Amino acid sequence: AFSAGSRLLRGRGGHVVIRFALGGCTNRPFFRIVAANSRRPRDGRYLEQLGCLDPLPNAFGEKVAGLNLERLRYWLGCGAQLSRPAEKLLGLAGFLPLHPMTVTAAERLRRRRQREQQPEAAPADGSARPGTGT
Amino acid sequence: MLPALRRCRPGSVPLPALAAALGPGPFPGLCPAWCPRALPARGRKTRHDPPAKSKAARVKLPPPVDPEELLVVLERYRQHRLVLSALRAEFRAEVLQKKQEERLAAEEEEELEEHRRLMAWNEEENGRQRARREERLRKQEEEERRKKLEIAEKQARKMEAFLEEKEKEVLQLQEEAKNFITLENLEARIEECLDNPRNYNFAIDKDGRIVKRTVLT
Repeated sequence: AFSAGSRLLRGRGGHVVIRFALGGCTNRPFFRIVAANSRRPRDGRYLEQLGCLDPLPNAFGEKVAGLNLERLRYWLGCGAQLSRPAEKLLGLAGFLPLHPMTVTAAERLRRRRQREQQPEAAPADGSARPGTGT
Repeated sequence: MLPALRRCRPGSVPLPALAAALGPGPFPGLCPAWCPRALPARGRKTRHDPPAKSKAARVKLPPPVDPEELLVVLERYRQHRLVLSALRAEFRAEVLQKKQEERLAAEEEEELEEHRRLMAWNEEENGRQRARREERLRKQEEEERRKKLEIAEKQARKMEAFLEEKEKEVLQLQEEAKNFITLENLEARIEECLDNPRNYNFAIDKDGRIVKRTVLT
């Protein structure tokens, strides 16, 4: 098992990555925030677990995540890369600046909601006024 | 939080057209949070199977991009990356500092005394060398100055001697010039020579006796 694992790490390439490892059961995902070599499988051996994330909201409607900021700083100082969802999560947590796409997605959602409200308001006015006029 | 709650409620699905296609499923009346068929996914065919004839005319276009939004997003990305790189540099500095402190602490436990002793001895040696070097340099400078002075003095003396010699020669010449024969003296001197004939003849024998009396006088 030891030699099979080190076959990945032979030769050049590979870097430390902080990403989500999926666990849990069917229809019940659970993510572990993990520092691992980029060439390992997603749920394979990792260097260190830096936190966890429950993507399903709990009884109070919250999605709970736990982070080990001390070790995160250490790994980032050692030169670890971040996956996109990990960046977004850390941005929302406040440890890193907000990811641009988080802000962009929020803006798009707001614009779409406004567009949906305006057609609802306009036909409502249009249908109300002829009703009152006649 | 709220969208997650809304997605869990039965009946409200983002694409109502697909609700009928999905069918009742495990929970009649409750649709899942995400519609898996909204995105392309391999079901029946592998990636090596050719696409169907009904899809021959299908034109796959990239998603539409709003240029203003794109510019805004690019600017945001630039700033985000700037901040991230600065943070990374800070964390790297922290890690290095911690490692150095650990190293120093480990070293201190082992060889503190000896290190200090050796460093002190080294400092003493440096001091002694410095003193010796300064002495040597000072002496060298003095030597050089003395030599320079000597040379200057010699030069001065030489110049003086030279000038003196030249003066002497000039004076001598001036004195001799009084006896020179010039165009004005010419006739007088000739007369003088003719009037005073000098006889340079003399006889000498083997014993060295000189006889100045000759036939001419």
